[in-house]
Amino acid sequence: MALKGAEIMKMLPKTNCKECGYPTCFAFAMKLATGGANLEDCPHLDPQVRAQLEAAMAPPIKLVTIGAGENALAIGEEEVMFRHEKTFFHESGIAILISDKESESDIEKKLKRIKAFDFERIGQKLKIDLLALCFESGDKGKFEALVKKAYETTNFALILICEDTDVLFSAASLCADRKPLVYPITKDNTSAAIPKLKELGVPAGVKGQSIEALTSVTSELKDAGIEDMLLDPGSKNMLEGIRDQTLIRRAALKKGFRPLGYPTIAFPCFMYQDRFKETLAAAALMIKYAGIVVLSQAEAQFLLPLLVHRFNIYSDPRRPMTVEEKAYEIGNPGENSPVLISTNYALDYFIVSAAIEEANIPAYLCIKDTEGLGVMAAWTSGKFNGEAIAEFFEKYAMADKVKHRKLIIPGVAKKLVAELEEELPGWEIILGPLEGSDIPKFLSEEWKA
Amino acid sequence: MKYEPPLEKISVNIRETVLGQGEKSVKIGGENTLPFHSFEGSLPNSAGLALEVLDTQPENWAPSVLEPFEDVVSDPVKWAKKCVEVYGAEMLCLRLLSTDPMGKDRSPEEAAEITKKVTDAVDVPFIVWGTDMEDKDAQVLMQVARVCSGKNLLLGPVVKGNYEKIAKAALEHGHAVVAQASMDANLTKELNIALCKFFPPEKIVVDPTASALGYGLEYTFSIIEEIKQFGLVDKDKMMQMPILCDFGGDCWRTKEAKESREQGILWEAISGITFLLAGANLLVFRHPESLKLIKEMVI
Amino acid sequence: MILIGEDLNVMTGEISRVIKEREAGPIKECVAGQTKNGMDYLDVNVGPVKKDPQGTMEWIINTVQDVTDLPLSLDTTNPVAMEAGLEVCKKKALINSASGTTESRETMLPLAAKYSTDVVLSVINDAGLPADADERAASIMDSAAFANELGIPNENIWVDPVLLPIGVDQRQVTSYLEFIQMLQDLLPGARSTCGLSNLSYGAPRELKSLLNRTFLIMIGRYGQHSAIVSGFDQELIRLIRGEVPEIVELIYRAMEEEDLDLSALSQKELEYAKTTQVLMGKSLYSHSWLEV
Ligand code: SF4
Repeated sequence: MALKGAEIMKMLPKTNCKECGYPTCFAFAMKLATGGANLEDCPHLDPQVRAQLEAAMAPPIKLVTIGAGENALAIGEEEVMFRHEKTFFHESGIAILISDKESESDIEKKLKRIKAFDFERIGQKLKIDLLALCFESGDKGKFEALVKKAYETTNFALILICEDTDVLFSAASLCADRKPLVYPITKDNTSAAIPKLKELGVPAGVKGQSIEALTSVTSELKDAGIEDMLLDPGSKNMLEGIRDQTLIRRAALKKGFRPLGYPTIAFPCFMYQDRFKETLAAAALMIKYAGIVVLSQAEAQFLLPLLVHRFNIYSDPRRPMTVEEKAYEIGNPGENSPVLISTNYALDYFIVSAAIEEANIPAYLCIKDTEGLGVMAAWTSGKFNGEAIAEFFEKYAMADKVKHRKLIIPGVAKKLVAELEEELPGWEIILGPLEGSDIPKFLSEEWKA
Repeated sequence: MKYEPPLEKISVNIRETVLGQGEKSVKIGGENTLPFHSFEGSLPNSAGLALEVLDTQPENWAPSVLEPFEDVVSDPVKWAKKCVEVYGAEMLCLRLLSTDPMGKDRSPEEAAEITKKVTDAVDVPFIVWGTDMEDKDAQVLMQVARVCSGKNLLLGPVVKGNYEKIAKAALEHGHAVVAQASMDANLTKELNIALCKFFPPEKIVVDPTASALGYGLEYTFSIIEEIKQFGLVDKDKMMQMPILCDFGGDCWRTKEAKESREQGILWEAISGITFLLAGANLLVFRHPESLKLIKEMVI
Repeated sequence: MILIGEDLNVMTGEISRVIKEREAGPIKECVAGQTKNGMDYLDVNVGPVKKDPQGTMEWIINTVQDVTDLPLSLDTTNPVAMEAGLEVCKKKALINSASGTTESRETMLPLAAKYSTDVVLSVINDAGLPADADERAASIMDSAAFANELGIPNENIWVDPVLLPIGVDQRQVTSYLEFIQMLQDLLPGARSTCGLSNLSYGAPRELKSLLNRTFLIMIGRYGQHSAIVSGFDQELIRLIRGEVPEIVELIYRAMEEEDLDLSALSQKELEYAKTTQVLMGKSLYSHSWLEV
């Protein structure tokens, strides 16, 4: 349990001596709670109390990093069961499975497709994070060749899946500096794996037939000083996955149960043959706590929805989602196309841009930076008033973009009309519909410029 | 340290709502645990999965979502039959699009007549949906309530501005209603309080308004998740109504869904599974393939 | 509790017009009324004053000081107007307001130091509005440290924890309560204030004042130093000045007791009890909270 400031306070000396640099012990405690201070800064802490505090303040779910460099994936350190309680912090990684049984040309094709996969949506890069390399051929040479190829020709973080512990670690040693996840570590190979995990310094993918079975392995690893682990409770389908993942996170967060205080991995690729179902299971398990989901293919029409989904679920509900300020060109607008303006509150942008697309009338959609405030709130705070919009028009040279002089503003912003008529002389200010869903009709009927 | 499964028991239930009549009637809600948590509570009814039927020819539908209905779109009766007989829908949502005052502006009488014909032709439960125009919806749904008296339809959307009229007609003629408050738990509660003054709570389904993946899903997901928890965890009686999510149309309007059939189906199905995880009890789909996928996944 | 009257506000159309036309009458009337009603400070909200900030501010402050001896809270985002106002204030003024954003800190706090005035310092920072009590604490400590560096003592800092409308985010209201209780432990000696009427923004008109009054009593109990309120809300003023002790008592009880017995209460008492409960976050807010 992440400690609250008030709980930390109870364990501090309460002398308010200020030596930590804060005016009171309480102030120091609050800073500790939000991660802005260091326990070392209080010289008056009893060592035993310090150790207690350190243990209590440790995140209940450990942050684990797989991979190295730019493409390293960090997961864990989640604080809540439900997104609305705070936010989900570390996006689930998406891994694509490649088996050494696949033909060389198939592998080649797959890798090519994965590398070429490159989506951008409202300024966000949507990407695949890992390759999951699977030993199925029974031929050590083949597996190692696959691992080498992935290691040498791509920068992705790697997961090595191999039931033969010797082959697993020999492959891991080929790419140890990439910090691959080695999987599975089970109750049967733990003692053999421990020295190698330590030697190579790679994270362990712990697999158990049940949650209970996981705990003995994680405890053993922890006792051996290994803490970089991912958990796989062996769920066989989506519903089992939801159950297992929920219980693991609950045990870690609400019970402070350390043996389950690690991020998890789930394998939709092994749960369902059907590509649609596999993708759906992955979507569900991203909401229900999987740190990594492994998929069998990398086709865009399956991945794109999943990536957008991840982006949705991991956005921070405490901060309004925003989009970049600019004069968006929707369709291929020209000098006779309509000009609309709205705030950079992401939902406003989505609704209006989708409506313009639906109307199938190319248009300029001016998105003014309002720090994520909606129309009325932004107007009240001066970020979406006549003056601010006039500045926007100046900055983006809207008058040069179109020949007509008509501006469509959000239907709720009645008060803006007069302001804009003053600030944008020569422009006709048209009040749009109140509901986004009426925009298509509005545009096709009203737009006769 | 020994592992004990950290189970959480909840002592209250979401209300159970019965829709339709006779053998094919469907129950939704009734659970005393969070979605899919059958390991720690009871979920007596699986979610209701409805397919959409329009009372008029669809416009601007992407080919891949039009294709399953191509031969029946000109006739809502045939359309409804196909949904049930070919696609196995256990519930339908009849959208009275043609009553839109900005569009065809069909009269309440005509709309009610169509509704009667369609609901007579197939015996599954129906959601009957207006056009989000407060006044017109009131006229139309009141007339539908009368003409289809006793069919136990689910009429919506019922909003702050028209709930009294529609709910009174629904009460008189034995129907249920969908109380809609857009993306706001506080307003959802308020509308329920107002309705419950004269309307039986077990005949209310709430609609916090869903949205499509990539187009606001993150907001609606969290609001629905919260509403469910206000009901189950905080035991707020006014938040224990089953939840409806109507998102198929929004999904198929997105440019991503229009891009490819597979992408479109997933766009809708991922939205669907997301809302089920949030706590939805009743989903309205547009594509039979998305509905089928969800159905197969959750049983 | 220090009450700061909020009614001289450019956001109300009438005041905006009379400022433009330099018409002193309505301003004097507004000021005199609030003074008579027992306000301790008067807020002079002139907005961003784009045109002639200096002249406008001087004129309005002098006009106000013609009819009142009360100290003033100067409410403008324009530093030029602010300084012009501070120059002519007769009493120790309150700068309303600075926030933890880089820009605000660097323009407003130096003025507070230069003129040794009090300053409202909100918990908003470059990252926006803190999401909970702990984040509020972290933010205000940074800003206060910055202010202290400039030579502004805690006693001159009026912390504004930022009150959001309960209909918008009930959790922010409970975080406010949590935060105000810890303020003295965080910044010993610091004062506090808030824009009270924001709490009931969007609530039914006839119930706004009930929300505001109840909340003010609640935060008063938790050590709130002052609040910006309507200088014409007689019932609020009476309540806060201790003229209705039984209601105050009841609110305190509703704050504390899990299962307050509502059956024995009169209609009016019931309203206060229910309002307290909803403000404490014990039940989900809706505009019809009194009806359940
Ligand atoms: S140094 Fe330690 S004892 Fe002194 S004020 Fe800081 S926290 Fe308190």
